[in-house]
Amino acid sequence: MRLVLGKIDVLGPSIRRFTLSPVSGVLPVAGAGAHVVLEIPGPGRVWKNAYSIVSTPSSASYEIIVRRVEHSRGGSAWLHDHARVGDVLEVQAPQNLFPPSRTSRRHLLLSAGIGITPFLSYLHVPGLSFEWHHCGKAEDAAAFAALLPETVTLHTGRNTLNLAALLAAQKLDTHLSLCGPESFMDFALAAAEHAGWPGQKIHKESFGGATGGAPFIVHLRRSGQSIHVGAEESLLDAMEAAGLVPPCLCRGGACGECKLPVLEGVVEHHDHYLSSSERAANDAIMTCVSRARTTEITLDF
Amino acid sequence: MTIKSRPIYAPFKLDVTGRVHLVVTNLAEAPVEVEEAVGDVLVWTVKTVAPGVPAPAARNLRPFRSVAELLPQLAVRLAQATVGLRIYAVGSEAFIWDAYNVAMGAGLDGAEVFTHHAGPFVRRVYCTHCRTMIEDVAVTIIPCPVCGAHLFVRDHFSRRLAAFMGVIVDAEVPGEIPAAEALIS
Repeated sequence: MRLVLGKIDVLGPSIRRFTLSPVSGVLPVAGAGAHVVLEIPGPGRVWKNAYSIVSTPSSASYEIIVRRVEHSRGGSAWLHDHARVGDVLEVQAPQNLFPPSRTSRRHLLLSAGIGITPFLSYLHVPGLSFEWHHCGKAEDAAAFAALLPETVTLHTGRNTLNLAALLAAQKLDTHLSLCGPESFMDFALAAAEHAGWPGQKIHKESFGGATGGAPFIVHLRRSGQSIHVGAEESLLDAMEAAGLVPPCLCRGGACGECKLPVLEGVVEHHDHYLSSSERAANDAIMTCVSRARTTEITLDF
Repeated sequence: MTIKSRPIYAPFKLDVTGRVHLVVTNLAEAPVEVEEAVGDVLVWTVKTVAPGVPAPAARNLRPFRSVAELLPQLAVRLAQATVGLRIYAVGSEAFIWDAYNVAMGAGLDGAEVFTHHAGPFVRRVYCTHCRTMIEDVAVTIIPCPVCGAHLFVRDHFSRRLAAFMGVIVDAEVPGEIPAAEALIS
């Protein structure tokens, strides 16, 4: 669908809110936790970036909050530096891979940085019982504080949140939801595991997508193609740039849709989907965020 | 023949991802494999030394007077407990699913509760006509003690009710009741 940029709000030094309205007609309803994928024009290619929808489900437009990533691959830099009110963007219909668990009585929400966004939509869910701790840099404190109700605890200093104690003190009817950068997620997940949380009671959404890395060559056995994956592009992006249509959905290593079988080569996993034993098996790769550790890798696609 | 709706019970094994382990059983003693489990395991049993007098408690051991006393106390315990607790229900099939359902009601996930059958496979039967529960059934056809219907014990287990379904056996020709056979499992 084609959506027009209706409004741009500057929330912080590197954080902006964008309002996307339909050119005509009515938008599909997006529930709490949903995201949209924006197709953002760039030099020589199109960036497909996923952003959580923070507006209410009944809203006539979608609101997204975007941080300008340092060393941005293109998506967030374009939105911050080039996007103007009135620009029309191609936007894929919303998907929801991170809805609040409806069967849980209590929710512990932990977020860091721009991982605040999916939980902002949780605020619209009537009757959701939650305790929310958000961690951010001091420079973003004002921007985050303006977005959060008083019930949310904002941590902007180092070591102000004792995650281990917080996680161990939760009642048995509590569900844990996490969103933040990879380092935050890894730390929180390790603390949760140490406290005895079963994996079934944890939901997580990562963002930021591919981080880039050493370039490599991917051989696609069934397509008969060999593609060079550059240092600044993801495997999925490179395959799409070569004219292929590999499976994908969230583009952030969370949903598992883009999983492809690995025939040769060693995978450098960056996703949050495969378990540690599946990673060790080295027989599958999530093309949206993971890369090759070897100079070449062969996939069954 | 296996019964599709009947769970298959794995042998008792401590889930090492948990921090605190509570074994609840309707038996007087926990099975030997529980005793041998490495780690700090709390055990709740049903054992009396005289009518209405529970056996003495010991470190990590708490005997109850009855299942009817144990299960509500389990609910109280679960409402106070924090994350990291694992529940192991050991004993009769009806008891372990009653305990499982108490745990689910307290907000636990299936990954935090383990069921292990011990003792004979007698069935709790649910009269689908008057909703009476009939305990310790070992034959295929029984009269319902409340509504009087002669029930055929179907190979259909409900985890929610922790019971097998009993349906009237002589609905088409009243009075034509086949001979009861022993339940083999």
